[in-house]
Amino acid sequence: MTPALSLRLNAVGLLAVSAVLIFAFADQLFLADLPCPLCILQRAAFVVAGFGLALNLRFGPRASHYALLLIGALAGAVIASRQILIHIVPGTGTYGHALLGLHFYSWAFVIFVVMVLGTALMLLFDHQFAEDEVTADRLSALSKVAFVLFGLLALGNGLSTVLECAGGLCPDNPTDYLLLR
Amino acid sequence: MMSIPFFLIVAALAAAWFGHRHASLAFWAAGLLGLLLLFRAHATDVLNLVL
Repeated sequence: MTPALSLRLNAVGLLAVSAVLIFAFADQLFLADLPCPLCILQRAAFVVAGFGLALNLRFGPRASHYALLLIGALAGAVIASRQILIHIVPGTGTYGHALLGLHFYSWAFVIFVVMVLGTALMLLFDHQFAEDEVTADRLSALSKVAFVLFGLLALGNGLSTVLECAGGLCPDNPTDYLLLR
Repeated sequence: MMSIPFFLIVAALAAAWFGHRHASLAFWAAGLLGLLLLFRAHATDVLNLVL
């Protein structure tokens, strides 16, 4: 795998992470499904993990950037599995909407595992780390779009969280935005 | 407070955009630490499970 192909795949991966955040945002804004504290932390974990892909786009593929992705994805998987365990016993309730039979926190766990697997597969290809072929400081159009979109989504989630939770910890079962009351 | 990880990663992205790799890594590490501390603050209930 050439560095250029690796960068394209990283851009696609970052767009995929952005798509997850957009989907969650759309559910929040259009279906009034406010994210719970653990839901917000899972979104934050997507942002923390996706940053590894953004670094690959900006500075070229490096194993250390993939490590950031793995750490973020593992943190997200732990948070998602915690929420799954809270609701795993039948009759103990759920939180939020379901999609194709799985609640969002279950999907989040699946996606974090897929991110770990995808990163492991990417790490199989050593030639992407050939520095002489990497054109750092020259982001392609696709990379720029992915980088900026991801940054805007991270910023949007931060602002949304401020509106929902103000300056403290979020309520366990939020019903409205604290700063919009 | 729960928005801190998001804003730290935004700062990390901004630092990366302008070519400051080490600064961006520092912001990322702070964001991860914030995420883990917030998780610790929210994962206090005992789970009634047999694993």
